[in-house]
Amino acid sequence: MSALVRSEWTKLFTTKTWLGLLLGACLLAGGFAALFTGLAGQDGEGGPGLPEIGSAQYEELVFSVAANASVFLLILGIIGMTQEYRHRTATPTFLTTPRRGRVITAKVLAYALVAVPMALVVLAVTVVVVLVYAGARGDAPSLAGDNLQTLAASGLVLVVFTVIGVGVGALVRNQVGAIVGALVYLNVIEPIVASIGAISGAYKWLPGGAVQAITSDFEAPDLLEPWQGAVLLLAYGLVAALVGTWLAARRDVV
Amino acid sequence: MDDLSFTVEPGSVTGFLGPNGAGKTTTLRMALGLLVADRGGATFNGRSYRDLTEPTRTVGAVLETAFHPARSGRNHLRVYCRAAGFPISRADEVLHQVGLGDAGDRRAGGYSLGMRQRLALATALLGDPAVLVLDEPANGLDPEGIQWLRGFLRHLAHVEGRTVLVSSHLLAEVEQTVDRVVIVGAGRLVREGSIAELRAGAEGAGSVVVRSPEAARLAQHLQGDGRRIDLEDPTRLTVTGATTDQVGAAAFAAGVELHELASHSSGLEQIYFQLTSGTEQYAAAPAGSATTQGGTR
Repeated sequence: MSALVRSEWTKLFTTKTWLGLLLGACLLAGGFAALFTGLAGQDGEGGPGLPEIGSAQYEELVFSVAANASVFLLILGIIGMTQEYRHRTATPTFLTTPRRGRVITAKVLAYALVAVPMALVVLAVTVVVVLVYAGARGDAPSLAGDNLQTLAASGLVLVVFTVIGVGVGALVRNQVGAIVGALVYLNVIEPIVASIGAISGAYKWLPGGAVQAITSDFEAPDLLEPWQGAVLLLAYGLVAALVGTWLAARRDVV
Repeated sequence: MDDLSFTVEPGSVTGFLGPNGAGKTTTLRMALGLLVADRGGATFNGRSYRDLTEPTRTVGAVLETAFHPARSGRNHLRVYCRAAGFPISRADEVLHQVGLGDAGDRRAGGYSLGMRQRLALATALLGDPAVLVLDEPANGLDPEGIQWLRGFLRHLAHVEGRTVLVSSHLLAEVEQTVDRVVIVGAGRLVREGSIAELRAGAEGAGSVVVRSPEAARLAQHLQGDGRRIDLEDPTRLTVTGATTDQVGAAAFAAGVELHELASHSSGLEQIYFQLTSGTEQYAAAPAGSATTQGGTR
């Protein structure tokens, strides 16, 4: 299995996809951290404003923005799986390892392990932006207690979304379809579910609801407890990996 | 595919022939466990592909030229070295073996068709396998590349003693390379045998074309012995079932003046065409069953 995991890392690091996605994740997390810090304490026009610097609410919100970069790691996982079908390397890959379940398992492990240092980089960028900018505006948050917990939760979200990406890729196989589908789901379907009163009760059971339960519940509808959200999110990652493995092992490779 | 069964012998090159859509690729993919057959299976040294402990050490397959375009040829090979547990140095060894030693650092996306075929072949050779399965390896090769491929395959089989199964839709493409042929049409076995046997069959099928001012008189002298004689016009006739030697001798004996005496034996290509004509089929064949006995060694 370690040979297969290393093979996946060779695949990953011999193209520059990972670098572009990591940069994107850092820019998104750092950018939103700066934006939220800059706008902290201002009243929204007609809407609720952002909490003030120094408040526990602000600190939870600003350290949660790193979780929004999960879309880039989701895409990393999707591309990691779908490129095998897009560039037809699934054929030599499955010829080298005919027990295809082992290939997908190795992919899930390889991407989960790679996501850890990538998540740490994203978190580091977020923390640096927040400490410098909020410090300049008068009150840098402490890196202890609840804040550390929020950062750890954001890191968990980043890692689990990478695994979900691999599973989605094995499920859909078409790279463009998988990425577009995932973006539409996250940015259109989940917000709609969350905003319609009659069905917003279902939101807490969706991946986005689980993410908000463990990071920041700012302006969210009814959510699960943080530990329940963590379990639910891990369950989504596990189900995606298992379904992907099961399908890849049975489908014809043409 | 329907009740197709054949065996491939070590130390020889076997041509797996058939028109487009005959089911060659489907057969090879089923034999290698990429497609699931409803019935039947393929074995390599008595074991199915999925049950081989180190499959790429036993069978090397080129089914398509598949690479990530942004990855260099060398890194492409290293991926499969790692997955199979081969030393990373194998990547450079096979690159040199197929003549890509200088192109290893270039992105595979920038390779020519011929270079892609060579890189695919290099991938198949990583495990130094005893059996090689190649699906249309000559596709996209220029004449020089085809020449190289012929020599390379013959070397792998005859000098190194490997089992080589190579598919093609053109007999002419592999005629000079293969020792045996397996011909399929519409998912069924049409003919299996050595290339010598096929040639022997082709000789009887040939005909002799004669041009003579006295063609009609010569026709009378050639009657009999099961020959078929077509007098196409007063100066030209075609004899089936006779050699040029026999026709020449008959003309000499009869004192008939000849202006042309030619063997019109399109040979193997003609046989191949006759065997497979009417079996072309471009729609996907219904998945029936396959009982392909793959390469043994």
